Amino acid sequence: MEIMRLVVAGTVGAGKSTFIRTISEIEAVDTDKAATDETALLKKKTTVAFDFGRLAFGPEMALHLYGTPGQARFDFMWDILIRKAHAYILLVAANRPSEFRYARQILQFMKQRVRIPMIVGLTHMDCLEAWDLETIKISLRQLEGKGHPPIITVDARDEASVAEALITLMQLLMQTREAAENSMNSP
Amino acid sequence: MAINTEKLAHLLQEFVTVTADVQGAALVTPDGLPLASSLPGPMDEERVSAMSAAMLSLGERICKELARGIIDRIFVDGNEGYGILTSCGEDAVLLVLANRAAKQGVLMLEIKRALESIKPMLA
Repeated sequence: MEIMRLVVAGTVGAGKSTFIRTISEIEAVDTDKAATDETALLKKKTTVAFDFGRLAFGPEMALHLYGTPGQARFDFMWDILIRKAHAYILLVAANRPSEFRYARQILQFMKQRVRIPMIVGLTHMDCLEAWDLETIKISLRQLEGKGHPPIITVDARDEASVAEALITLMQLLMQTREAAENSMNSP
Repeated sequence: MAINTEKLAHLLQEFVTVTADVQGAALVTPDGLPLASSLPGPMDEERVSAMSAAMLSLGERICKELARGIIDRIFVDGNEGYGILTSCGEDAVLLVLANRAAKQGVLMLEIKRALESIKPMLA
């Protein structure tokens, strides 16, 4: 059984813990604590170490999902988790454009440490204040160079939607692997 | 009643100064924000706070899922010294850093005493 470690990163309140809780086959391990900073305006509880969930992906593969805390003061956890990851998804709440900049900073943090497949997942798309997909794409890509990560929308509360996001990420991971193998085999 | 942060900081400072072999202490919220601290120079209060909260939350989780009861403390034993995390009521976590020369029994007793004087100040 091959284990793939996937990290769920992203801004505060984007739905990282929900994402893992929705899809995990075991009862997700969470490290929620009452929020006392500005996070409390969004939600009561916040992750302080990591979330963990697991699910089978086909007969010979298991996905281990690790959710990071959103706040930058926990960036040592981002560092610990991302270094062991095979791929990651960056969740961004579409209804809080003020945090897009922060999302790019998280992406930078990860890119400085690892070169692994990743996708961006836009959550909260059904909220009234949510920007539309095209505008967000432009906004998020502004400072990106070539090789943009795929941007998808995902509803962290919906199992099918989360599964779809994971499949997209896994397909990307497999493509990257195959490409690496081919380049190794070619003379 | 409002929390007297000055008094808290003073109390921690005194604890670090008076207690033999203790090098630093920090009182943080369970979600990893600093309340008061007296730390060695290069250590960043925010980072220390977040790490303390993360570590204690994992310890609590281990206690719960692996049926170890209610957590008393987390003891980090390094070749240069100790780091001890203790829950300080519902609203705070106490981190104490001590050097290798510290006697563990004394350290635990001193921490227990410090907790007793800190807790009423947070109530």
